[in-house]
Amino acid sequence: MTSEDIKNLKIAKVVDARGTACPGPLLAAKKAIGEIAEGDIMEILSSDEATKNDVPKWAVKKGYTFLGAVEESGYFKIYLKK
Amino acid sequence: MALFSGSIDKLTAAGIILSGAAADDMDVDIYVLLQGARAFKKEIGDDASKLSMAEYPHLKDEFMESLAKLKVCTWVEFFRQAKELTNVKIHICGLAGKIWGGEKLEDFIDLADDIVGIGSYMTAAQEADVHLFI
Repeated sequence: MTSEDIKNLKIAKVVDARGTACPGPLLAAKKAIGEIAEGDIMEILSSDEATKNDVPKWAVKKGYTFLGAVEESGYFKIYLKK
Repeated sequence: MALFSGSIDKLTAAGIILSGAAADDMDVDIYVLLQGARAFKKEIGDDASKLSMAEYPHLKDEFMESLAKLKVCTWVEFFRQAKELTNVKIHICGLAGKIWGGEKLEDFIDLADDIVGIGSYMTAAQEADVHLFI
């Protein structure tokens, strides 16, 4: 998925976990994914470096699709499809 | 998980590992052994001033300040969140409870589910896919 594709994604839910350290973003993602429907896309914002590896691995293990990540200044955005 | 430790650093580690298990929807049984049972007493719990640090005890203030700055949950909050997210059962070892003056379930923080003996722990450990001793 290109960054252009990512820009055009229809986001069902944004989880802003910036400012929390591991395992904060993972737990925030876990809680939020229960609130969206099958096929919906969730955006997770995190400033915790470990999350970049952790959340995609968790997502794939749970059967969700990892669509990609985008770096911003001081944080990054992760996209998951339920 | 066998949670033998009752020090703030090891309880925090247990809470973080437990959070990972909760994110994975794992069923978790925690057997709170000797020193761990003291931390679960009602009058202790989240009161960090009553808990020591197992490693680098002289750096406890620095450790606690960093946890607060990084907005890391307290160990009790980690355990509480994990219980909300997945099936976590917290079993207090009967002997450990007695050592620290806790005879009944109500002597412990409300996260504790029951008081059990070592036989229950062994059975759970034998049946578990993952077993940790902290």
